[in-house]
Amino acid sequence: MGWTIGVDVGGTFTDFYALNEDTGAMRVAKRPSTPDNPAHAILAGLDELAHQHDIDLAQVHRLSHGTTVGTNALIQRRGGRVALITTRGFRDLLEIGRQTRPHMYNLYKDYPPPLVPRQHRFELSERIMAEGQVLQPLTPPAIAAAVAAIRDTNADACAVCLLFAYINPEHERTVAQALRAACPDLNLSLSSEVQPEFREYERFSTTVLNAYMQPIMADYMAKLETSLSESLPAATFGINQSSGGLMSPDSARRFPVRTALSGPAAGAVGAVHVARSAERANVITLDMGGTSADVALIRDYRADVSFNREVASFPIRLPMVDIETVGAGGGSIAWFDRDGLLKVGPTSAGADPGPACYGRDGTDPTVTDANLVLGRLSPDGLLGGAMALNLGLAQRSFVPIASRLGFSVERTAHGVLGITVANMVRAIRTISVERGHDPRQFSLMPFGGAGPLHARDVAASLGIREILVPPAPGIVCAEGLIVSDLKEDFVVSHRTGIEDANLRQIREYATGLSTNAMRWFDAERIPPEGQNLELSLDMRYVGQNFELAVPIMSGAALTPDSIPDAIGLRKRFFDVHETAYGYHNPHDAVEIVNYRLTARGRLHRFEIKKHKPNGVSPQPIGARPVYFSPDASVESKVYERSSLSAGQMIEGPAIIEQLDTTTPVYPGDHASVDAVGNILISLSSES
Amino acid sequence: MTDIKLDPIGLEIIFNGLRSVTDETYVALMKSAYSTNIKERHDHSTAIMDPNGRLVVQAVESLPIHIASMSGLMTSLLDKYGHDIREGDIFVANDPHVAGGTHLPDVNMAMPVFIDGELTAFMCNIAHHADIGGMSPGSMAGGMSEIYQEGLRIPVIKLFREGELQQDILDLLLLNVRVPLERRGDYFAQIAACRLGRRRLTEVVATHSLPVVRTAFDEIIRRTEERLRDAINEIPDGVYEFEDVMDGDGLATFDIPIRVRITVEGRRIQFDFAGTSKQVPGNINVTMNATQASVCYSLKALLDPELPSNQGVLDAAEILAEKGTMLNGAFPAPVAARAHTCQRIVDVVLGALAQALPDRVVAAANGANTTAVFAGVDPRSGDGYVYLETLGGGMGARPMKDGKDGVQVHITNTSNLPVEAIETEYPLLVEEYSLVPDSGGAGRYRGGAGLRRVVRPVDHDCSFNGVGERFRHQPWGLFGGKAGASGHFFLREATGKTRRLDDKPSDIVVTPKDAVIVETPGAGGYGAPHERDPEQLADDARSEKFSADYMSTNYHQGKTKRQRT
Repeated sequence: MGWTIGVDVGGTFTDFYALNEDTGAMRVAKRPSTPDNPAHAILAGLDELAHQHDIDLAQVHRLSHGTTVGTNALIQRRGGRVALITTRGFRDLLEIGRQTRPHMYNLYKDYPPPLVPRQHRFELSERIMAEGQVLQPLTPPAIAAAVAAIRDTNADACAVCLLFAYINPEHERTVAQALRAACPDLNLSLSSEVQPEFREYERFSTTVLNAYMQPIMADYMAKLETSLSESLPAATFGINQSSGGLMSPDSARRFPVRTALSGPAAGAVGAVHVARSAERANVITLDMGGTSADVALIRDYRADVSFNREVASFPIRLPMVDIETVGAGGGSIAWFDRDGLLKVGPTSAGADPGPACYGRDGTDPTVTDANLVLGRLSPDGLLGGAMALNLGLAQRSFVPIASRLGFSVERTAHGVLGITVANMVRAIRTISVERGHDPRQFSLMPFGGAGPLHARDVAASLGIREILVPPAPGIVCAEGLIVSDLKEDFVVSHRTGIEDANLRQIREYATGLSTNAMRWFDAERIPPEGQNLELSLDMRYVGQNFELAVPIMSGAALTPDSIPDAIGLRKRFFDVHETAYGYHNPHDAVEIVNYRLTARGRLHRFEIKKHKPNGVSPQPIGARPVYFSPDASVESKVYERSSLSAGQMIEGPAIIEQLDTTTPVYPGDHASVDAVGNILISLSSES
Repeated sequence: MTDIKLDPIGLEIIFNGLRSVTDETYVALMKSAYSTNIKERHDHSTAIMDPNGRLVVQAVESLPIHIASMSGLMTSLLDKYGHDIREGDIFVANDPHVAGGTHLPDVNMAMPVFIDGELTAFMCNIAHHADIGGMSPGSMAGGMSEIYQEGLRIPVIKLFREGELQQDILDLLLLNVRVPLERRGDYFAQIAACRLGRRRLTEVVATHSLPVVRTAFDEIIRRTEERLRDAINEIPDGVYEFEDVMDGDGLATFDIPIRVRITVEGRRIQFDFAGTSKQVPGNINVTMNATQASVCYSLKALLDPELPSNQGVLDAAEILAEKGTMLNGAFPAPVAARAHTCQRIVDVVLGALAQALPDRVVAAANGANTTAVFAGVDPRSGDGYVYLETLGGGMGARPMKDGKDGVQVHITNTSNLPVEAIETEYPLLVEEYSLVPDSGGAGRYRGGAGLRRVVRPVDHDCSFNGVGERFRHQPWGLFGGKAGASGHFFLREATGKTRRLDDKPSDIVVTPKDAVIVETPGAGGYGAPHERDPEQLADDARSEKFSADYMSTNYHQGKTKRQRT
């Protein structure tokens, strides 16, 4: 064995988390990101790990990577030149979408124009019907015309999106074959491969996004493999997917759209890992950075997955960790709306100029400024003093708002934090209460640079009694990468009524997926003891248009017997319906729409080192006044996280500082360090 | 009551909590309802009303048309039951003439919320049921001349008395609608949303205290009205007039004028619809609540899209529309297709204010709610089916960019049904779904294109009904921009010949060898065509959305300009 390295490339920093699976040794590093070629920062970080942390790079056997290359290309419109082939009569479908507009009252806001201009969308004479029957066959002249048209566009990627291809992919495959023969360098994305599910617009949109990202991802993967094969000769590479699992670089090249939420998904996997280490099965995560906060829900050590999402205002239908994002971060700016109400965000001061207290000519009051004004952040600065903060500038930035309100600067800053918290609470309610989960039965796990600063107020608003702060809140994403499994999601769409007469059919569809999964295990060389399958069925009442994902089985192998009979299947659906909507109708007909099988190959096997309490009391490094309430500060002891050890307790009011975050412990609250270095804060009973 | 002062921070936090309540009930209702109209097309709303029936918070995704019918319901409710409102009651109503509704399929519900024995608020919701009985499936078809034909009329009644379901009433409601089991599901989804809202609102009050929340109700409404009046104050004072004409009322084709005279004086704005047609025999009449909703939509869209939707908005707009006219229909006016008229009210208001706010208005949009209904017996199962769809069209050109092609506009934003869903569920084949060439009006910025759907039945004969507006009177352009194309219904016959159908065709028999072609209207352009950027002209040609003929006629490329007056 040897080292495994997780690399998470974010907008500002590239984070590294290295773990020696034999010794349990752990190293972290942080480099500024290099957006022009993210591989530069990766190489620099590996260099740092080698030289400053004595890691023998020849001993690194795996590098897991979370990347935003594809998503950034989409946001900045730097993706490929894409052409599209679609069924005759449907050239405009991509442009019409669902015929809706993004904002009810805004006359000027539109969804973005399609990534394929109309003149590069070509119609093909062919037609498949709802049950897969061919109404109009595909002819050689039709294929030849389409191929010629595509060649003339000089496109570097082509999406092939035909109606009902999810049920009969033959026409898409035939066209692809011809295109491959005629244009060997052309990247191809087939809707029947990218996401073979019904609802054409979402499938086409996902496929076009995939095509759009293909050239840039292929380029990046090539660069990465070339440069890394020199420095990491023994390593295999894994690329993180939005669903929270790794894929091979080859899969990443074919399906780059699966990386759309690569970073946040790694955060969720990292959070699951932390939750396990703390033995907290149900956790709500709050990942708060400079411009936004991501929240996600973990039940029984699993992050919830959802299937519909917009990325850069384009719909994507793929399994993705169910994350709700709210424009509330350290850099979020406080401002007065037209009705005189105070708002915070979504506009952010970003990294440049950044909050007023950074002293880079920013004058708008931000959340970070509020934290500094209230003594929650140290006036000595961030990153252990490496980044100075100017309290005077922070205070000055609040003066205009404070005088309009007739409040003290501190009271104003306290109010700004209150509004920020309310915004995050709303996002958490969306992923918990609106999905039928009671947040009071969860612990709150804050991470990211700003998460722990606000966790206490968020928890109190939601009735959450416990906060779990991971040992290294700034690099939970990179940590998630090294504990990720290799993962592949298989799906097939078949509408099947749930009744005993259809049982054989249902089992056939499911075991068919399992055959594909076994083939994948072989290809990825996953040994049997590392194999796991999870079957879930999208079900709905007949006549409804909303499906629910109903988990059916999880285990090493899927046999026909692992699928219950019709009564059993209906019962599972009713349970899920009950959780989601609070009722179910036991007599109504139920049908299956999609069959989903997730195959996981376990890559790691290690234990986190547990430490025994050493009986020493924690020693504060100082004290400062902190505002926990709007009008009065309390002298609070300051502790250094790195000096804390297992079993130590801290009573609030206190502040715990570490390189990547600051954690306030409120008066009356009670913090303790567990055997693996997590801090658990229990809220006082009055909160 | 003590005099409580709420600062802008505390108020924002409470407001946030209240918005959470309406948004959560909105999602709950959407997910648990049965009607496609609610689940897939989100034709529903949820709201918190105060004890005086004033709208305090409406779920952010709510449809604009619903803003006033909630208060309409409350007015009737308080009139009728003012002294008989008890904990656990749930009220239901839908009638436009006696219960504040806008058309019968929209079923309104209200549940009082008592806290410490005191009436604190009402949790309300509106949902468009897929059927409410009456002459034709879906309860939306044309061809009717009085409200009785449109479906079951429900005055404000108690469906629950102190927590007790009035089963006899529910039985009566369900007996009068098609597919009663599904409608039962819709009723219960609405009931569940009321109860959920009551629970959540009680939690918010527990956090902030009753007097504080009550003060917040008043403050939210007051601040919204102030905010809107500030924006009105920025409109140059003056009198602005406009008139547009509708194609027909669904029973006959004749010009139906809608006229507005808008007076702006400082922070006041008045909309006088004198000169508008008397109410018509067909079902495009509008009750006062829907007129009010359309006017408020226009104001919000023009002045402040982020403005919260509450009583403050309704209070800021003075509206004069004589009872018995098309915009304030009197009993027994039929109103099912009021959406077409509401769209036109918006166009007329925008048209009038174009003179005052040239940098904000948009040209006439498709101005309709083009409806296509296919019905028949599915040869695969032998069961009857009804497939109803409303189609978008062109969005009017804007002061800084082109109008969007093929989209829902103004008071509606419902999504289409995927082709793969249509063909899986119904014995229909969609041959084409595209943008209508040459349908966007030319201009410095061009109008959006209409939509085209070509549909034919598979292995059986089906019947087709349709409702079109702006099928005769084209959507106008602004400041020299040209009009967009009008819409059409066609039947392509087995011979290959295509013939135009009525603008409101009913019971057209379609065989598997025929096909129905629906083309919705485009939209008007903004600014003179000769001012269009050459690069955009090149794009127009390249995109193939416009023919060479259209380009040379409208933009006179290389030829002398012909000025349109």
